[in-house]
Order: sequence, then structure tokens, then C-alpha cells
Amino acid sequence: MIGAMIATFLTATVEWVEAYTIVLAVALSIGWRRALAAAGAAFLVLALLVTAGSFVLNRIGDLGVLQFIIGVFLILFGMRWLGKAIARGAGLKELHDEAREFAALRARADIFEARAAMAIAFNGVLLEGLEVWLIVVALGVQTHHTIAAASAAILALLAVAAAGAAARAPLAKLPENTIKFTVGCGILAVGTFWSLEALGYVWPLRDFALLALFMFNILGGIGLMRMSRARAA
Amino acid sequence: MMRGFVKTLFGGRRSFLTSCACILLGVVILHTPFARLAGVVLPVALLAGAGYLAKH
Repeated sequence: MIGAMIATFLTATVEWVEAYTIVLAVALSIGWRRALAAAGAAFLVLALLVTAGSFVLNRIGDLGVLQFIIGVFLILFGMRWLGKAIARGAGLKELHDEAREFAALRARADIFEARAAMAIAFNGVLLEGLEVWLIVVALGVQTHHTIAAASAAILALLAVAAAGAAARAPLAKLPENTIKFTVGCGILAVGTFWSLEALGYVWPLRDFALLALFMFNILGGIGLMRMSRARAA
Repeated sequence: MMRGFVKTLFGGRRSFLTSCACILLGVVILHTPFARLAGVVLPVALLAGAGYLAKH
């Protein structure tokens, strides 16, 4: 349970920091009251989506079907994260920089227009929140500790909000790529395990196969990063 | 907003198609006499897919 909570906390922190950067840029343009109103509305919509999503997932009686659906989503999500982390680690893509993101947002022409700026804050919080929800489902359901994972995500939100309120500047010191690489490997491992198991495959090492898949992704990812870096040099 | 929502859930076209191709490969292997190899083929395909996405 602790492992799932730490993984969820770290990943959710990365996502909430990205959402905070957007809200901060909007707040400095149209004021905190409107920016927070847009963020609040996004949280409300997110809560509705999470409730609806959980309702649909709970209605699926067949555990195999549920496993397959979540497994496929985890593969879609994990592969994206791992691909991005490998590209950034290999220097094929620039590392994500909150300060640069913030500057780019502030340079947008529409950020000083109240409605457009509120829409930016709303969309940012909603989409980052959706990613957090996927992480909670991925790590919580697998370990049967969904409430613990959800609590870790909320704790991460509070930590980012507190740090943001204190700093009033982009929170740029997070080792984002390392976290995304590790979690991407984990999510991809769980997605692989679940989707094949749902299709009737019996893993030779049972639950230990999950650990083996995770290690395979970590080592393979590092190998790909080094290979790409060497080729680029 | 809807575009961002879809992209968050399913990713871009390239990453979606790459992931689907890997899953399809896993499903196909599962229905051949080499079904036991699916546990090796799918992770290798997914890692290769991640490497492909990193380059593009």
C-alpha cells in the first residue's frame, strides 16, 4: 500500500505542478479570484467525470473485461510517458521546464482576456486532473488500495497548493523526467500484465511477473535512452 | 476542450496506433501455437514502440 501511495503521490505532484503553472500564469493576468474560480469549476467537472467513470467501471460485472479495458488504457498512457521520458533523457527533446512553460503561457495574447484565460485555467486543471485519476485507477485498483491512492493524489494537490501559495512562482525544481520515466515503466508493466491476463494468458511467475516486467521496462528504457544518445552524438 | 480530453485519454494518433499495433500483436500471438511467448513478445513490442515514439 505504501508503495502505491508514494508512486501516486509523486506522479500526482508532477501533474498538479503543471496545473499550478497554468493557474498561476492565468492568475497573474486576470486575478486570483477568476483563476481559482476556473480551477474550482474544473475540479467540479473532474469530480463528476470521476464519479461517472467509477460508476461505469463498477457496472462492468466481468472482471476480465474490466482488467482488459484498464490494461489497454494503461498501455496507451504508459507508452506515451515512457516514449517522452526516453526522448527527453536521450536529449532528443528538451526537458520539461515549468519556468519556460510559464513564460510561454504569459506570452500568449489571449491570456489577458478574462474568458479565454479562464478557459485556459479550466482546461489545464481538468486535463492534468484526468491524468491523476488514471494514475489513481492504475495504481489503486491493482493494489486494491484505491482510497489510499486517491488520498495520496489529494495530499499531493494540497502539497502543491501550499508550495505554490508560498512561492507564488513556477515550481521548477521537480525531477519530472525521472518520475515520469519510473511511473511510465510501472504503468506499462501493469497494463501489459492485466491486458494479457484478461485474455487468458497465465503469467509464469504469477504476480512476480509484474516486478519482472517493471524491471524489464526500466532496464530497456535506460538502454534505449543510451542508444539514442549515442546515435545523436 | 473535447480535443484535449480525447488526447489525454488516448494520446496522439501516432502513439495510439503504435500502442494498438502492439496490443494486436499480443492478441495474435495468443491465438497461435506460440501463445506462451505472448508474455515476452508484448513487453518487447511495447518497449520498441516507446523507443519509436521517442524518436518521432
